[in-house]
Amino acid sequence: MQKLYVHPLPVRIWHWINALGFVLLILSGMQIRYADAIHLMSFATAVQTHNVLGGVLILNYFVWLLFYLFTDKIRVYHPELNPAKQFRGSLRQLWYYGYGIFKGQPNPHHLSVYHKFNPLQSMTYQIVMILLVPMQFYTGVLLWDVNRFAASIQMFGGVRVVDTVHVVLFIFFIGFIFIHPYLASLGHTSLAHFKAMITGYEEVDDDSGRGQRR
Amino acid sequence: MPAVTRRILAVAAVATAAVLSTVVFQMARGADAEKSGPALSAEDQTCLGCHGQEGMSKTFGKGEPLSLHVDGQAFAASVHGPMGCVACHSDVDLSKHPGSEKSYASARAFSIAKAGVCSQCHEDKAKLFAGSIHASVLREGNLAAPVCTDCHGAHAVVRGAAEKDIPCRKCHQAIYNAYLESPHGKALGKPGPMKAPVCADCHRAHDVSPASTSTGLRHVCLNCHKDALQAHQKWLPNTKLHLQVVSCPACHAPTSRKRVDLRLYDLTTKRDVTANEEQVRLHGSRSLNATGGTPLDSKTLSDLIRGVDRDRAPGKITLVGRLEVRNGVEAHELTEKSKAIRDCVVCHRKGAAPFKDVTISIVGPDGRPIRYEAQPDVLHGPRSVDAISGFYAIGGTRIGLLDVLLALALLAGISAPIAHLVLRRLLRKNRAAQQNSRAGGK
Repeated sequence: MQKLYVHPLPVRIWHWINALGFVLLILSGMQIRYADAIHLMSFATAVQTHNVLGGVLILNYFVWLLFYLFTDKIRVYHPELNPAKQFRGSLRQLWYYGYGIFKGQPNPHHLSVYHKFNPLQSMTYQIVMILLVPMQFYTGVLLWDVNRFAASIQMFGGVRVVDTVHVVLFIFFIGFIFIHPYLASLGHTSLAHFKAMITGYEEVDDDSGRGQRR
Repeated sequence: MPAVTRRILAVAAVATAAVLSTVVFQMARGADAEKSGPALSAEDQTCLGCHGQEGMSKTFGKGEPLSLHVDGQAFAASVHGPMGCVACHSDVDLSKHPGSEKSYASARAFSIAKAGVCSQCHEDKAKLFAGSIHASVLREGNLAAPVCTDCHGAHAVVRGAAEKDIPCRKCHQAIYNAYLESPHGKALGKPGPMKAPVCADCHRAHDVSPASTSTGLRHVCLNCHKDALQAHQKWLPNTKLHLQVVSCPACHAPTSRKRVDLRLYDLTTKRDVTANEEQVRLHGSRSLNATGGTPLDSKTLSDLIRGVDRDRAPGKITLVGRLEVRNGVEAHELTEKSKAIRDCVVCHRKGAAPFKDVTISIVGPDGRPIRYEAQPDVLHGPRSVDAISGFYAIGGTRIGLLDVLLALALLAGISAPIAHLVLRRLLRKNRAAQQNSRAGGK
């Protein structure tokens, strides 16, 4: 096994702030939406917590964005421009998670510094980070001050449309928050990817990351 | 004494008595008129010669009496005293009076007709009144609607008296009683930093408009409670929005029953859709009549919006909403601000009482809302995203379908990893064997 430095410090800081923030946003969001059923905190505290955390995560998003925009690490988010190749890669990865992993087959994705995401991950994160997360932030900001952003809200079709988009994305992220750590536990050991997201170093087979050491 | 002389003396005595009685009567009338005050002219005193007599009345219709008595003193002391009777009663032809007056169906009809004379001098007030809800009701034929003299009196008009006497209570007694129990009513007539508001201060004196349309009287409350926005901003998120869509009494009359009133709103002109523009079309072409008196459901409501939208750019009409109290009495049951509702969950939870009563209103030609009852479900259905795009209360009006989606996401999010993990554990030996054989093969 060799160690590859694939998670630079700004990314790790962003990731863990984002992870903690997401969990707290989901909890406060659940409290706001289901005040009749959930009693973790008062409604007012939940709203305040949600607003502050939303602001923190928006700033945090820019840490991620600026890091990737101004470093060559943005290559990890470069999309596969060949749809057939992307489709085949994604299908292969899905097949692995749905079948191969039970048969002891190796992960078809070979991690490297500039290819740290498998095709399925790569496609998902491009959509999540470039579309869904900004959309969630944007709708959140609109709902934070409905009067101030009345024109934008009207442009999107009204407060219910904006809220529905926010809630649908919230539902998606609730699913994501369970699936993501589970998939992260499917490394060569259960904690390998978690450790890597703390140290920055992923452990890969000797023949996987040839020439990719930091 | 000769008979002729006796006859002459008798006639003279009768004549003298007649003259004396006339003089005495005239003196008595003069004294009565004198009591009325020196401001009154001789002509006015002549009028009061008859109309100053207690009990003078006239009958209308089926014997309905109307007092024609005028308190001369009060008239003389009134703001109209110097102008004299003829200023308002120029239609009276003295050569044929009494008896030549136009006949009226009732005493009330007579009073309403006579009150019309006020507009000769008070044209500005008459114009304001003409646009009021009172005038609208009157035009509809409701003779109970107040006219000038109902609030100001007919002959004893004194400056400021209408404000002091609060004549509104004559018709709105229940509201007035609620007002008296409110902090505003309790402060009435007491010294303080501000004068306690009376009816006309909030509802205006002449151009009284329906309080429950559009954003209601919010601006009136904020006129005096100028720090309200800042005070609410200390604890209330989206303060401006709350002040816009929640009527003040909804929280400040905590025991009041609330409802959601949805109004047809034109996003282009930023005005409520009025019945003048749309109601005929709504009734003629759309489903309001077809509901047959049952509350509007989600589909009917969506159809309604589309119907109104038909001649406009699509998506330009929507329903905006406002949380308000159910009636005028409850709107006046205000309490001290320490007792006002501050618990967000009163509204922001599923099944909250305010969202169980929903009305749809269109502003009628006279400014009064024409309301239609709607099923509370209209606030929670998927169609509400489109039809009621302008009203949403987090938690309180949430869409049920999204709750189902959330439950599915939770179920999938939790069960999929568990199922995958369990399967991996169950197939662990099998997997290890295959890995070993693969390694052996290499």
